[in-house]
Amino acid sequence: MDTRFNKSQKQKSVIFSVLLFAFLFNINFVSAQDGEKLFKQNCAVCHSVGKNKVVGPGLEGVTSRVPSEEWMAKWIKNNSAVIKSGDAYAKKILAENNGMQMTVFASLSDADIKALIAYIKNPPVVVAPVAQTGAGQEEAEKVINPLAIILGVVALLIILISILRGLTFSLKNVQNEKHGLPLERKQGAWTELKAWMGAHKRSVALIVIFALGGFLSAAWDGLMGIGVYQGYKPSQPIAFSHKIHAGDNAINCQYCHSGVERSKTAGIPSVNVCMNCHKGISKGPITGTKEIAKIYAAAGWDPDKGAYTKPQQPIIWTKVHNLPDFVFFSHQQHVKVGKQQCATCHGDLTTMTIAQQFTPMTMGWCINCHRTTEVPGMKDNPYYESLHKKLSEKYKGQPITVDKMGGIECAKCHY
Amino acid sequence: MGKTQYWKGLDELSNSPEFVQKAENEFAEQLPLEDFLGDNNLAQNNGTNRRDFLKFLGFSVTAASLAACETPVNKALPYVVRPEEITPGVANWYASTYFDGNDYSAILVKTREGRPIKIEGNELSKVSMGGTNARIQASILSLYDSSRLTGPTANETPVTWAISDKEIINKLTAISAKGGNIRILSSTIISPSTKSVLSDFTAKYPTTKLVTYDAVSYAGITSANELTFGKAVIPSYNFAEAEVVVSIAADFLANWLSPMEYARQYAALRRVSKSHAKMSKHFHFESNLSLTGANSDEREPIKVSEQGKVAVNLYNAVAKLTGRSALSSSALACDATIANAAKELVENKGKSLVIAGSNDTNVQLIVNGINQLLENYGKTIDIENPSNLHQGNDASFAELVNEMNAGKIDAVIYYNTNPVYTAPASLKFADAMKKVKLNISFADRSDETSRYANYIFPDHHYLESWNDFNPRKGHYSLSQPTISPLFAQPRNEGTRQAQESLLLWAGISTDYHKYIQNVWSATVFPMQGKYMMFAEFWNNSLHDGAIEVATGEEKALAENSKDDKKKETKKKEDKKEEAKVVAKVDLGAVAQKVNSVKGGTFELALYEKVAIGNGNQANNPWLQELPDPITKITWDNYVTMSPADMEGKYLLMKRQDREASVVNVTVNGVTVKLPVVPQPGQAKGTVGIALGYGRDRAGLLSTQVGVVGQNVFPFIGVENGTLNYGSLDVKIEAANETTEIAGTQVHHTMMGREIVRVTSLEDYKKDPTAGNHPEMLHTNSGAVNPNTIDLWNEHDKLGHRWGMTIDLNSCIGCGSCVVSCTAENNVAVVGKKMVMNTREMHWLRIDRYYSTNWPSEVAEAREKASEKGVGIKDMYMDMENPAVENPKVVFQPIMCQHCNHAPCETVCPVLATNHSSDGLNAMAYNRCVGTRYCANNCPFKVRRFNWFNYNGNSDFKFNPTQDDLGRMVLNPDVVVRSRGVMEKCSMCVQRIQAGKLEAKKAERKLVDGDIKLACAQACPTNAIVFGDLNDDNSAIAQLRKTDERNYFILEEIGIKPTVSYLTKVRNCELEVPEKTEVKTAEKA
Repeated sequence: MDTRFNKSQKQKSVIFSVLLFAFLFNINFVSAQDGEKLFKQNCAVCHSVGKNKVVGPGLEGVTSRVPSEEWMAKWIKNNSAVIKSGDAYAKKILAENNGMQMTVFASLSDADIKALIAYIKNPPVVVAPVAQTGAGQEEAEKVINPLAIILGVVALLIILISILRGLTFSLKNVQNEKHGLPLERKQGAWTELKAWMGAHKRSVALIVIFALGGFLSAAWDGLMGIGVYQGYKPSQPIAFSHKIHAGDNAINCQYCHSGVERSKTAGIPSVNVCMNCHKGISKGPITGTKEIAKIYAAAGWDPDKGAYTKPQQPIIWTKVHNLPDFVFFSHQQHVKVGKQQCATCHGDLTTMTIAQQFTPMTMGWCINCHRTTEVPGMKDNPYYESLHKKLSEKYKGQPITVDKMGGIECAKCHY
Repeated sequence: MGKTQYWKGLDELSNSPEFVQKAENEFAEQLPLEDFLGDNNLAQNNGTNRRDFLKFLGFSVTAASLAACETPVNKALPYVVRPEEITPGVANWYASTYFDGNDYSAILVKTREGRPIKIEGNELSKVSMGGTNARIQASILSLYDSSRLTGPTANETPVTWAISDKEIINKLTAISAKGGNIRILSSTIISPSTKSVLSDFTAKYPTTKLVTYDAVSYAGITSANELTFGKAVIPSYNFAEAEVVVSIAADFLANWLSPMEYARQYAALRRVSKSHAKMSKHFHFESNLSLTGANSDEREPIKVSEQGKVAVNLYNAVAKLTGRSALSSSALACDATIANAAKELVENKGKSLVIAGSNDTNVQLIVNGINQLLENYGKTIDIENPSNLHQGNDASFAELVNEMNAGKIDAVIYYNTNPVYTAPASLKFADAMKKVKLNISFADRSDETSRYANYIFPDHHYLESWNDFNPRKGHYSLSQPTISPLFAQPRNEGTRQAQESLLLWAGISTDYHKYIQNVWSATVFPMQGKYMMFAEFWNNSLHDGAIEVATGEEKALAENSKDDKKKETKKKEDKKEEAKVVAKVDLGAVAQKVNSVKGGTFELALYEKVAIGNGNQANNPWLQELPDPITKITWDNYVTMSPADMEGKYLLMKRQDREASVVNVTVNGVTVKLPVVPQPGQAKGTVGIALGYGRDRAGLLSTQVGVVGQNVFPFIGVENGTLNYGSLDVKIEAANETTEIAGTQVHHTMMGREIVRVTSLEDYKKDPTAGNHPEMLHTNSGAVNPNTIDLWNEHDKLGHRWGMTIDLNSCIGCGSCVVSCTAENNVAVVGKKMVMNTREMHWLRIDRYYSTNWPSEVAEAREKASEKGVGIKDMYMDMENPAVENPKVVFQPIMCQHCNHAPCETVCPVLATNHSSDGLNAMAYNRCVGTRYCANNCPFKVRRFNWFNYNGNSDFKFNPTQDDLGRMVLNPDVVVRSRGVMEKCSMCVQRIQAGKLEAKKAERKLVDGDIKLACAQACPTNAIVFGDLNDDNSAIAQLRKTDERNYFILEEIGIKPTVSYLTKVRNCELEVPEKTEVKTAEKA
């Protein structure tokens, strides 16, 4: 057999495996650095990528405003150090925001920050949300399955290989004919493949290992996703928009979810809370009177007479956040004592037309937060006084995170 | 010197081969899975084979993954208009009162989202003093009873309120117009407003009369006091001042009169410390081994017929010491103890108490005589401020039955009573009832009595009702609805409060809530001086639940028409009259009557169990599953008999917790078939049977598991106008069959270790560490306390470190904590069959150990035994048999000991159980895979495994979680465990977390007492102390540091438990003199 032919085949297989390797790892690589994800997790609570100010300034064109990208990286990582260093621009920002300082993100790596800045520079074009009519529809995000991509590429490669194989075969026979050599018999693809595999055991093993690796990683991802409902966006009996209420009209979360500092549940507001405002507001900006009429029906309110004349009927909402029965979660612990923002777990509802589960709400996610979050207000709360003292002695200089005071023990949430 | 050894049951003592085998195989029973797979075909085909298993496996894996892929859609229903006081997720507490005609307690009701889920004692009440018993704790479940009627019925067909009200008014009007007799038959009513309602009703229908009848009557005390003092009352007893208590068969810690109050007072006097090495002395004479007898210092088993004689002999002994004339008497075996008791009593004149449980007026007269000799009236017995509980009048009840039989009664209204079930057989109440044309019942279900009634107008449950109570002169309390009626329109015709029905029929349209306010503003309000405005007074009373008013003013109000001088003179006249009446009682004649009582070969003493009581909550599975404190048997009543008597009858004594011989018990011509269990401490020639069982119409439970036990109320005799709860002529015949019984105790052996530490008061005075000597480890550097040697590192002392200590001197073993724990922690009910498989789920159990006297010279005895050719085992049997007749008893509550070096934690393969930084042994159910290694490695056997899905398996239909209504009792803060996971005491971690959170929110330090565990709260004697060991100011930290009685169970194995116990101190000699020992040994 022609050695050149063999060589070219070897080259091809190497190229193929390198491609596959790079491809598989690239998926993981990219996802680890996903700037958008980082932004949502860390920044979106206070910043938008547009112009509008949420808590901190809007970040559209921020890279052209700040002194340099290096400066911005420093700022993101530890803004208080930048302020302390006496940086003029830092002082200016502080003054612009009424002296409100940004959170310190010591845990972000340089790569993370790079990805973040890249994302902030080129945010995806936000399409204005289409007004929902009727009951909100479930709208799953269109994510292309990585497995489909792999399969597509593999199929493409197979086609490519078979074309090339046909081509070399014809060319060889043309050459053989020219030189008067006997024509090669056309062998079945399977026989040839077997022969090829027999000759390239090492490459075959490599391919199989990578293929298996790819399959397992996809299967693992799939299994880990079972029971995780991040992005769950159920339809509701009333097309209630958090964006209009909490965003446009800037109603405080606690006005409706009044249990958040007093109870383990934040509570879905009773209809009479809706009626506090909707007695006067019978027409909404998007759906007109249609949806608000449903509140009236529930409250038994007759808008014409201006009186509660009809029978009452509770509204059956669909729960967006469902924790398993064996988890005890208390809102008051996190909001009142731990001084956490609603958006940390629920996302920026001021931009959500339909409420959705913003975070994965898995145990890993809880634990992760407990491992990285310092307990705010611990120093000032007399309850923690002696504990704080003892912990500070034990973990000299380290931040006292929730887990250090037993916040990741089983019986704190499971009983 | 001898050594006191404790053992758990006769089986352990005799070390029978069955017991040894069982002890070894404690967990090795074969799984009866076949019974539960439910598929008969599978069972016939020789069980599940491998292919089936793979099929099941394949199916379940597919099903599970399919199910997991779908997002569950959960709905949420907020209020339309949220009530101001309700925040979802936050508990509301309401003060209320429990009174069922028998038990009285001021309580607090915990509600969540408008449904009551837990009952706790109200400390503000001076009558119940924050105590609750098992029955009160369990009454929360009786609210959610699906057996309750949802609307009125006429002859068992549902009717509407409107129509039936009209019919009743017409019928009653017709009866009263022709002068026919109307009777209201009720258990004790202590509600002033209800009494006022009854008088309004009587005003409308003048031929009405109230007859008060209690299933368990104390009429003997009332009539004796009428004869002695001219006052037909039950006095208030003050155990808090009684340094010496002599009880003749009065079970005052469990059932007698006002047990929770007495238990708290009694326990206070039995708490000892180094600085206060003093405790009361308690003598007890009884036939059955009762809870109170078990707690006494000196207990004498006596026959039922001897109760009066003991009283007479005690009178004579006291009279002798005080220089009074004696009565005629007869010699008794226990005269020595009586003389001892008399000596102690006379030494503590005015600080002592003699009581008797007998309902015989004559016995009570003698007891009154003794208390007079001891000058106890006005000190430990208050007859001026009597108790209003137990007003039952046996004579008028008997008279009513006669009148009914004679056809003289036209209508009877039954309120809170079930006479067909509880009346003595001789009265034939059911027949009498049929002769009455109009029977109206307010029962909440179609029970034994109301099934014969023409109309049933179901009353609200007490947690749905308004009511007021006057348990003792000067003490008032209120009950308020804590949930809107479960059965109401439009879904059901609905229940209605009995008082409202009566008011309606009397033509008064005020609702009962308003009516009570009117009554209070006219009577109770003027008696107090604290509040100027009635509204303020009412709101505060309702908030506090229980109030106290000056008793003098109460009297003044009763006689407000007369001026002070007249009152003064009247008082004097009263006293003179009293004196005259007292003179009338000829104790000599009474003593002769008492002495003439002749005993039979077998005598019967009926008693109440702490769980079931008189049986009015027989449909409550929590109570049925609560083991009897003494026999530890659940789901049954039975005959208790002395082991010596049983041997004579060749009855089965082995495996007493599982299998028992059946006997036919015949009293007054009524025969009942019951299992018989050996009871050490039972007086020879006597048997005991518990009342309250055998209810065939208690509710769904009787259809789900069958009728539990046998009804022995028919055995009650009627003598001298009072109901007699004993019988002197009992025939007992072996039925030559055996039956299954379910005990919880004998399956945990003690293995000769000092799990309970006991000392005597004398020894304690000499050395506070008496009886509390830890096992020493012998090392090369000498004997070392095992606590000082450690394989592991100490835990960090950061934050909190929870600890619990139980005072064995205060614990009376009543079981209130067990039911409280069940309610708080959603503990499953497993039923008799599973209890027999040792699978009860109680997180907290109370172990009961009997004591016996170890022979003083063991080596000598061994020598003798070898000479005789008797084996060591038989030798111990021989030596200990006599002491078995009257053992001492200790109770020890055992829950997870939260070991700091927990053996369970190290063997869990999935780390489902591990240690928290605040010292708790945590159990994560969702992580548990059910290997049960932890339970096997637990030295205390406190871990409970969910063998079945008690919440869904149709074999456990009686479980509250399987019922739509019953499920409402669940505590939403505690997860309901499913099949295949291990569970155990969590030290109420939900309460700990809640208590901490309250402190954090209020930005203050956690204070000792902020957190009260369910068991500690329910304890009527405050035996359980819980707190933060790291807080130097906490009671528990102080106690651990200073109390020499503190010890840990099995500390010698190095597990460092968090729960500790305080040595039990007895106010008596622990050892029996050697001579007696030898004698008895020879006898045997």
